[in-house]
Amino acid sequence: MNLRYIALEVVRQLRNARSLVFTFVLPAVMLLIFGAAYGSDGAVDGTTGLPWLVVTTVQMAGYGAMMAALSQAFTIVTERSIGWNRQLRITPLSGTGYLMSKVVAALAIALFSIVLTTAVSILVLHTHLEPARWLMAGLGLWAGVIPFALIAILIGQFAKPEFAQPLFMVTFFGLAILGGLWVPLQIMPRWVSDIAQVVPSYWLNRLGQMGASGSGDALAPAIVLVCWTAALAALIVLRYRRDSARA
Amino acid sequence: MTEPPAVQLMNLRKDFGPLTAVDDVSLEIGRGEVVALLGPNGAGKSTTIDLALGLATPTSGTASLFGRTPRAAIVDGRVGAMLQGGALLPTTTVAQSIALVAAAHRHPLPVSEAMERARVTDIARQRVSKLSGGQLQRARFAVAIVSNPELLILDEPTAAMDVEARHVFWRSMRELTSHGRTVVFATHYLDEADAFADRIVIISRGRVVADGTPSEIKGVVAGRVVAFRLDDGAGDATGILGSLPGVHAVDQRGGRVTVRTDDSDHTLRAILATWPSAHDIEVISRTMDDAFLALTGADSDEHSAVASRGVEAAGPARMQREALR
Repeated sequence: MNLRYIALEVVRQLRNARSLVFTFVLPAVMLLIFGAAYGSDGAVDGTTGLPWLVVTTVQMAGYGAMMAALSQAFTIVTERSIGWNRQLRITPLSGTGYLMSKVVAALAIALFSIVLTTAVSILVLHTHLEPARWLMAGLGLWAGVIPFALIAILIGQFAKPEFAQPLFMVTFFGLAILGGLWVPLQIMPRWVSDIAQVVPSYWLNRLGQMGASGSGDALAPAIVLVCWTAALAALIVLRYRRDSARA
Repeated sequence: MTEPPAVQLMNLRKDFGPLTAVDDVSLEIGRGEVVALLGPNGAGKSTTIDLALGLATPTSGTASLFGRTPRAAIVDGRVGAMLQGGALLPTTTVAQSIALVAAAHRHPLPVSEAMERARVTDIARQRVSKLSGGQLQRARFAVAIVSNPELLILDEPTAAMDVEARHVFWRSMRELTSHGRTVVFATHYLDEADAFADRIVIISRGRVVADGTPSEIKGVVAGRVVAFRLDDGAGDATGILGSLPGVHAVDQRGGRVTVRTDDSDHTLRAILATWPSAHDIEVISRTMDDAFLALTGADSDEHSAVASRGVEAAGPARMQREALR
């Protein structure tokens, strides 16, 4: 594993702030709109027992983190199409090392987005929660991001440049809506919330809520997310082997 | 114990579906050699390079670098390459790109030194997307040498460079190779191959059609061609012409006769003495381009195989005969 490369890659991506505007700004803006509209009177969410504002913050932070992770798909597709990968293949960096750098970058950018969204919530909307709870909520979301980084890698491996955008959009909207990251699942038809139980973004959100409330059984999200992670990792390895065999 | 060669390709073959891109290429490049791979577009140069670097898996045959698998040699940091379609990230600066690749290597040169050697220090802070064609190639060259490799493989390094940029590029290459580095570069500029390579390997249709020093390759085009037309019924002229001193080859098709000769004056006098009615006479001096065309235009497999063996077995004279068509 090449830590120096991974560190430089993360720094490079964070520096390239222009492409991250949506990842960082959009969740914060949506939080301000929804938070101000529904949460300012101190309403409490019935299902979780958490203040609406906290629920919305977790939702939006989760959405930002997911977007940060999924965006790695574009990075990979671009790097493949311009030939940066070929250049890297004449270095000791392994395929695993390369993909690892993308997972770490996804986690780093996701963390940044989570912290930013939470900070906006606390500083602008004056959302109140114990610091320890905030920390747990953030960590819950962060841990839940890993499967999305792997989904991004898979898209990056499969998609031709012209298909990356639509594929990303379908995946992204599907996960955001089914996981209840934009609209609470309570107001969705029953079948949507049934499907949600197997969708990683639902459990991403739940992990955040559990962290915020300090209650709930983390076993179910752990099982679902680990299953996703394992399945995605297996697909990535398979695809990677087939790729190098064909080359 | 003798050291294994820098590059050893044995019976390499690469099929893409029904298309054979590389067809039984065997090539050994010793340490310290500077070799040009010369060939028209689509001749299989880039595929050969990909196979040599292990970026593509051969259909059959093997490639080794320094006696090891290409990947092992790359991991050791002994190989640097500038590839076709191996671009840098447009949003990074030149220095950042070099630093990223350096970070992937185990014992890289300091970034500043790689930049100095490739003469990109002045554009270090420019974004890759803002570079001119020549600047980009220089930046890619810096990336290729940042591991301080013993073997440099450059696929059309001066593509998109203007004349002056090419000149500067080859000057910095000269400095680098003066320390016994092995360099293999693909090009379709004949003058580059002539000026900078110790050895030229000509590839056409996936095969090695000629392999020799620049002077041996140029030997193919030494002399001139005398062409003329004979009246119908003049009979076979090849016997008489073939026995003249300095004549390498004679071709007669219908009334049109072409003679390849080292002594065009003498040949022409003999022709006029024998056939006073010879007309439409041309004396054509041939260029490196002609040699290249002659060698790469080979359309029969037998022909190219003989030409390639020709240089090794019988020297340029053999190749000349085969090359004239």
